[in-house]
Amino acid sequence: MTTVSEAPAVGLTHQGSEDTGLGHRGPASKSIVVPYGFWLFILSDMVLFSALFATYASLVHATDGGPITNQLFDRKLVAIETLALLLSSFVCGLAMITAKRRNMLWTQGWLLLTGLLGLVFLSIELFEFGKMIGEGAGPQRSAFLSSFFTLVGCHGAHVTAGLLWLGTMMAQIWTKGFRQDIMRRLLCYSVFWHALDIIWVAIFTIVYLIGTLP
Amino acid sequence: MFGRLTWDAVPFNQPIPLITSLVVILALGAVAIWVTRIRAWPYLWHEYITSTDHKRIGIMYIVLALVMLVRGFSDAIMMRAQQSLAIGASQGYLPPEHYDQIFSAHGTIMIFFVAMPFVIGFMNFVVPLQLGVRDVAFPTMNNVSFWLTASGVLLVNLSLFLGEFARTGWLGFPPLSEKAFSPGVGVDYYLVALQISGVGTVLTAVNFVTTILKTRAPGMSYLRMPVFCWTSLASNLLILAAFPVLTVTLALLMLDRYLGFHFFTNDGGGNSMLYMNLIWIWGHPEVYILILPAFGIYSEVVSTFSGKPLFGYRSMVFATLAICVLSFTVWLHHFFTMGAGADVNAVFGIASMLIGIPTGVKIYNWLFTMYGGRVRFNVPMYYAVGFMLTFVVGGLTGVLLAIPPVDFIVHNSLFLVAHFHQVIIGGVVFALMAGYTYWFPKAFGFTLDERLGKAVFWCWFIGFHLAFMPLYVLGFWGATRRMQHIPDPTWAPWLNIAFVGAAIIGLGIVLTVVQLLYSIRTRDRRRDITGDPWDGRTLEWLTLSPPPHYNFAVLPDVHGEEAYWTRKQTAIKEERLIDEPNYQPIEMPLNTPVGIICAFFASVCGFAVIWYIWWLAILGLIGAFAIFVWYAWRDEHEHIIPVEEVRANARERRRIRMEHLHELSQSV
Amino acid sequence: MTEHDPELLNVAPGEPHDNMFSETLSYVIGMGLALLLTAISFWVASTSTLWGPGVAVGLVVLAIAQMGVHLVFFLHITSGPDNTNNVLALAFGVLIVFLVMVGTIWIMAHMNANMGPTPEMMNLQMQH
Repeated sequence: MTTVSEAPAVGLTHQGSEDTGLGHRGPASKSIVVPYGFWLFILSDMVLFSALFATYASLVHATDGGPITNQLFDRKLVAIETLALLLSSFVCGLAMITAKRRNMLWTQGWLLLTGLLGLVFLSIELFEFGKMIGEGAGPQRSAFLSSFFTLVGCHGAHVTAGLLWLGTMMAQIWTKGFRQDIMRRLLCYSVFWHALDIIWVAIFTIVYLIGTLP
Repeated sequence: MFGRLTWDAVPFNQPIPLITSLVVILALGAVAIWVTRIRAWPYLWHEYITSTDHKRIGIMYIVLALVMLVRGFSDAIMMRAQQSLAIGASQGYLPPEHYDQIFSAHGTIMIFFVAMPFVIGFMNFVVPLQLGVRDVAFPTMNNVSFWLTASGVLLVNLSLFLGEFARTGWLGFPPLSEKAFSPGVGVDYYLVALQISGVGTVLTAVNFVTTILKTRAPGMSYLRMPVFCWTSLASNLLILAAFPVLTVTLALLMLDRYLGFHFFTNDGGGNSMLYMNLIWIWGHPEVYILILPAFGIYSEVVSTFSGKPLFGYRSMVFATLAICVLSFTVWLHHFFTMGAGADVNAVFGIASMLIGIPTGVKIYNWLFTMYGGRVRFNVPMYYAVGFMLTFVVGGLTGVLLAIPPVDFIVHNSLFLVAHFHQVIIGGVVFALMAGYTYWFPKAFGFTLDERLGKAVFWCWFIGFHLAFMPLYVLGFWGATRRMQHIPDPTWAPWLNIAFVGAAIIGLGIVLTVVQLLYSIRTRDRRRDITGDPWDGRTLEWLTLSPPPHYNFAVLPDVHGEEAYWTRKQTAIKEERLIDEPNYQPIEMPLNTPVGIICAFFASVCGFAVIWYIWWLAILGLIGAFAIFVWYAWRDEHEHIIPVEEVRANARERRRIRMEHLHELSQSV
Repeated sequence: MTEHDPELLNVAPGEPHDNMFSETLSYVIGMGLALLLTAISFWVASTSTLWGPGVAVGLVVLAIAQMGVHLVFFLHITSGPDNTNNVLALAFGVLIVFLVMVGTIWIMAHMNANMGPTPEMMNLQMQH
């Protein structure tokens, strides 16, 4: 990652002199700046989920006489979902490794697998939602259910958006190759995808496991 | 086909919105015709609308804010008039359902569409220049952020012409804001407008935190950054942390309203107190988002016009970061009376008092900066001193309110209203006016007229005190906020004084416009030839006014605190500029229509959601997504400014600087 | 041009580095640890071997550990000087998440405790 070729781009012709800490040697290059900005966005997304978690925690017992957690959640399904998303994160990481080596076939392969595993996750989730709504345990039934569907559904919406993004990335890599800006976007995508798995850890722990303790 | 949009939405039977709408439409039409006649559309499109230049985007934000200030102020003067008229037997001229929309619009507009864009506009214009770089980290995203904010403005103003606005105050508390009690479009306009512009704001925060942490001129370590950049960093960190909570809270209310969820409803297990909690987790940091950059502006202004470096730079930085973190620990003081109990109230009460300490540190630092300096009382300094007198009192009333037993008596009274207007006007607005005067020459190449500027200041200073001091008294006497009718005639004289104060502020706003037009007319008398009209200390004064598109021919080397000041003093002493550097061609980002097109689709989608026109909403969403994919397929990101142009501009700058070297310093 | 490489003190979050084997190993180890922690979590939640009230705490600890695994092995957030900005941003985010969640839960618990009798209870009282 050389910056010598980028130095003219930022008009950098003086030699920076003293050692004065991070980020002071002139502007960092795009390969640093873009992922950092995206990391900040991910952190704001974490705060977004924390507000949803806080809401869920406040309303988990507001069942209005309706269905409660133990009656609704199936741990086996959750285990499969968790596995699917975790594997998806893993193969996404492998895709980053092969992308760095500019291997089109393996990269597209791992990315496709990432997407398929994500689809497995989503399908199970949609199935679970459909089942609950069919049983009269939809989000309009009680505050608890509103907050459940919103928290888990928001994560699912992020996964959906992630899959749309993944499709776009696969198409971009296919048509434009492993260009620098495409690689930056791919890196951002992988950060996003891993972050979603981190959120899922919180969800399955708090909502599905702690929520259904005897 | 058109959801719930019918001809009933047009306020044919309400004279005030009807006439206002007609006037606005005519005014916009007149402007459009004028722009067409002087053939300025291509210029506007290339130089502003599609610009990725932080300076242009900053100017657009500030223009937006100033226009909305007029609307927000109109709401204010209407409220003052109503409260002066509707005493005892009289009902005034605004029925409650109308009055309620006005105070809701006033607050919403002033916070979200005046204060925020104004502050963000300054950060946009100034921060990259002060950091010695060419632009923010993500220039295209910057353009998108602006246009999303503009989309919010559009929707809020559309509510005047089509439908109604929320009647729930600027924060939209449930259960009143739930569908059951506010079935109309008003709350939906409010929610949708804020959600759309909120996205823009978060993107701005990502942009600026990245810019400040990762892109600075060589040699500019953290402790060599100007204080305005530190406060911008803190403010943007707060935006990043707080706005997601606002997004969630408003989204939950939207889910309740649109899909029948039960977050805050009275039935189904909903808990409206949760809304208060969540919205104030955002709401308190929000006011610090506004005040921190204002403090930064004062730091710049006070040190420049005192001719001294800022006193206690490190303690300023520390105080800023302390305020940043502490602002997230006090939010319950907005609802002491909601029943969390003494333990909880005590903790948050103490925290709220603690946050006054770093602010006090800052005030002392500014005072000590002035002490021993040769203070020049230009208009920005008027505002700085006015701020110190006004804001401190406002802060003290805040410390009073931080005591839960006291708050129980004056919560939601006019005392509270006076407090927050004092800190916002004395703190934020004065800073914005100071910054406007201070950086105007950098943006446009000539200074504003000083005499008119001082007149504007006095209008604000006197007007503010007349308008709000009576409110403290009335608050103690039991006057609640948001009253459409005044039951006690003994309050009348106080309210009338308040009305006069508001009118004087109105005069100040009119004079601001007059000052601008007059200054443009007579600009040749006050040209900023050197680019440094105030004997500045920070890097933005290194450039000519206005700076070239790329800011600096070569990124400046920073060798200590006050990068520009040392360099300038050396140049004056040695009677020569630094050696001419080796010029290179410069890559700058291309213009882009993505922002305005995306905002267009967002507005369409938002409008459709408000009026339940579902097919249009989906089309809007698809359009917004499509434009991003189209943008992502772009191959050309930048254009190159040839080295000849860079060299020519730089040599012109050096020539002018050399010629006027001795005028650069006021101390010579 | 310049002899300084600004990249030396900066690493992008999530950026893979080093050679292919060690990069892959990082993901494999991360995957393995995550699987292990997940399995333990599911077991902890269903067994009666552990003391009841401790189970929830244990699950939270396991979740935090697993998030850490993701951060280190998948997102490559380390404590080196090149990662400082990333870690500081993360720390700030974690602080806010903590304040929002703990603050809300604490406040809402107190609010709810201080609420008057529910409508159902009022009804019962009226019926006397």
